[in-house]
Amino acid sequence: MRLYRTALVVVVLAACLLAGRATAERALLVLSEGVPASLDVDGPAGNHDPSQTGFLNIIEPLVDYVVGGVNDDGVQLYDFTRFAPRLAESWHYDPDTLTWTLTLRRDVKGCNGATFDADDVLYSFARAKSLSGVAPVGWFLGNVASIDGFTKALLQNTQQARAARELGDEIQKLDAYTVTIRQSAPNKLFLPALTIYGLGIYDQQTMQAHATAADPWSHGYAGSVNAPSFGPWCVERWRKEEVFAVKANPDYYRGTPYFDRVIMRAVPQSANRVGILRTGKAQFVEGLSPKEYAFLERSSGIKVSGAYLNGSLILLANWKSPPLDDPRVREALAYATPYADLVRGAYFGAAKQWHGLIPSEYPGYVRPAATYRYDPERARALLAEAGYPNGRGLEQFAEAFKLSYALDRENTLGPVATQLRTALRRVGFPVQLDPLPAVQLADRQLVKKDLPLSLYDGLTPIGVDVAYALLLSFITPPAGLNNMTNFSDPVVDEMFDKALVEPDPALRHEYLASAQEVLARRLAFLPLAEFEVRWATAPDLEGLTLHPTQSVPWYPLRLGQGAP
Amino acid sequence: MWRYVLLRLGVAVLQLAALAVVVFFLIRLLPADPVARLVGLNASPEAYAQSERALGLDRPLIQQFAAYLGLSAAAPGLLQGELGRSWVTGEPVAAELGRALPLTIEVVSLALLASLLIAIPVGLVSAAKPKGGVDRAAFVWGLFAGAQPDYWWGLLFILLFAFTLGLAPAPLGRVDPLLVPPDSITGLILMDSLLQGRFDVFLSALHYLALPVLTMVFTVSGAIVKMVRQNTARALQSEYVLYARACGLPERRVARYALRAALTPTLTLIGIFFSVLLSAAVTVERVFSLNGVGQYSVRSILDFDYPAIQGAVLAVAMVALLVYLLVDIVHALLDPRLRG
Repeated sequence: MRLYRTALVVVVLAACLLAGRATAERALLVLSEGVPASLDVDGPAGNHDPSQTGFLNIIEPLVDYVVGGVNDDGVQLYDFTRFAPRLAESWHYDPDTLTWTLTLRRDVKGCNGATFDADDVLYSFARAKSLSGVAPVGWFLGNVASIDGFTKALLQNTQQARAARELGDEIQKLDAYTVTIRQSAPNKLFLPALTIYGLGIYDQQTMQAHATAADPWSHGYAGSVNAPSFGPWCVERWRKEEVFAVKANPDYYRGTPYFDRVIMRAVPQSANRVGILRTGKAQFVEGLSPKEYAFLERSSGIKVSGAYLNGSLILLANWKSPPLDDPRVREALAYATPYADLVRGAYFGAAKQWHGLIPSEYPGYVRPAATYRYDPERARALLAEAGYPNGRGLEQFAEAFKLSYALDRENTLGPVATQLRTALRRVGFPVQLDPLPAVQLADRQLVKKDLPLSLYDGLTPIGVDVAYALLLSFITPPAGLNNMTNFSDPVVDEMFDKALVEPDPALRHEYLASAQEVLARRLAFLPLAEFEVRWATAPDLEGLTLHPTQSVPWYPLRLGQGAP
Repeated sequence: MWRYVLLRLGVAVLQLAALAVVVFFLIRLLPADPVARLVGLNASPEAYAQSERALGLDRPLIQQFAAYLGLSAAAPGLLQGELGRSWVTGEPVAAELGRALPLTIEVVSLALLASLLIAIPVGLVSAAKPKGGVDRAAFVWGLFAGAQPDYWWGLLFILLFAFTLGLAPAPLGRVDPLLVPPDSITGLILMDSLLQGRFDVFLSALHYLALPVLTMVFTVSGAIVKMVRQNTARALQSEYVLYARACGLPERRVARYALRAALTPTLTLIGIFFSVLLSAAVTVERVFSLNGVGQYSVRSILDFDYPAIQGAVLAVAMVALLVYLLVDIVHALLDPRLRG
């Protein structure tokens, strides 16, 4: 009998201990619209927001930005004028040979126990240059940063191009902890490009262990199973479109994360994310509409935080779609836009009118001389001057005034589009709403570039640099990458080219400022508003940091005062 | 009997083959180019061409079709049981469907089972006592539940049972996200958790699946009640029931005879309602954050993910055809006239 009792006590104690361990674990439940679709940086999910959250938290970069101040909401901001060492401990640039020498951090361990060294860097750059993924983001960034050999010629479908996709002497290993990277031309975008996940570092040992003859760069493994790297989190459980769970990397070189485990759960309905947060089951919710954030701000026991960086709302008026090619019509659109109403009505105050075409938080931004305010009389006058008094004659351009936006952004962009249509019709523009599926919109905006008029809130240059933003949206193709409005201006192109190679910061700033003035004067697109990137959280969750991808790094998150 | 089954299987294979061809060509008429989503901000003509090649979309349509079927030497295709890789996740479509389909089948089967368990007795009682309390209540329920779409009821139930009363869990999928689910054996979480002795997961899954199942049961049961009631009422008025009553058989025994006759057409309804519930799964899964084949289909269509769309359509069609086939076989077993 005594034996049974003793055994019972032991079992109960063990159960209590186990229960204690279970409750002592710090877990963070993140609710999002989706979970990473892939962790392959050159895979199909480079433009998928939840996947960017995965890249940011799993794949460790060589370089990052220095953390700066904290805003009124307690959100940690970066100082984008300075770079912080991550896997690269220090770096040195030799302008004579256009070569960067990176000294790598020692004693860094990945989730699978692999130790980081120069071979991982070489592997990651060789993988990027191989163009073996379906969307070669790594190559793209190498090209943007003018890394020697990462040229557009590699994209040709020829034997010669395929042979050139092997890594040459542009990236060399000097010893186990020193690598050199040579540029083909001076280019200030080198370090900004290294901060972006596309040039993050994979653990080559684990990646190669999962390579096959058909998939030598382990795209299948990184896309569906794991992205082995040297970051703070290790993938624990990943079911596409359902759950993405990570556990802390105990060997992380910046210290073990506060949370033992982060579980990112897909809850497609934003109203459900709101409801679940209010029950206290989750601690972090993202991807809500401005209206839902405004509602939660008034709810007790929930904190809504946000910060300005590169959240922007723009009206893309195509330069190849008459009559939008007429500068007077474009100006009329700018003066007919009720900026304050949009900020108040569609963003509930969590936005501000955007003056200029570069995010105002970016170093090097200048507020241009040409700014626009709501002035319907002036808009009417400009329309009359263009030959369309009170909009008469514009009806022949019905297609040009179909205002498109992404259907899956209806919650946010629907109210904006409705307000805008009302205001523009008041002046005489025969605007009709035309929401499109996101892929169709992307096809027409980014590839065909034939969409006459569209609203867009996804332009987020993740390289925080005015020149990078120019390259992305305003430079004349083929050099320009993502010029959605077919804008072209020789002065902007010239200023960009000069700024890219200019070593003197003051002169570089001057070039980039001149380009910004031209963009605003000619209305390359119509900047409407800059909005806060926001999240709703448990009140004691601290350490929110706004990254240029608009994703939140989970590493600095912790529970504050009063938390267990 | 075997001849009948083989004939039906042959027809099903032909139907699937026709569907595969139609879907392949129809989705390519969609007004967008899926390469745009891949290249995103890196949409230079060269990068576009590179991604287009990677997806195989640079080839003529007929070559793409041959590759889809597995007739090209490069890679296996449909004829080898290979559905291709998703353009969004890069994962084999078959593996993704292998996860999504069991969830939908689990929810739909539970909903159908619960609906039948409720609807058949209620329908019988309604037929036995027309205009009685149960009959009137069933009539109102049928009208009421069918008056709103299932996703609306789903949201209402979440608001009421999860967020207001706290009786049901929040719509976080099919199991508490903090629990590590068991390894997949059948893909059915209730079954897998029992097989592996994970009772914590089993109870959690029961709890989490309760509301989505309730939503489906609530919306579909009214119609089943109505049909069972009508079939039973018709059977009760038939000549053999009249004869049985005239012979003085006990009323319970007469009811049993009537039920057997009424259940034969109801069996056909099971197939129809399974398909109805499969289509309802599209919205119910979204509302309850269930990553089933309904959600998968919607995502695939919105992303213009051709291999995933093709795979999802084939998988759903296959399940529906299989259910119809099973129902027809059971029907044929019950009614020899159908075997030809």
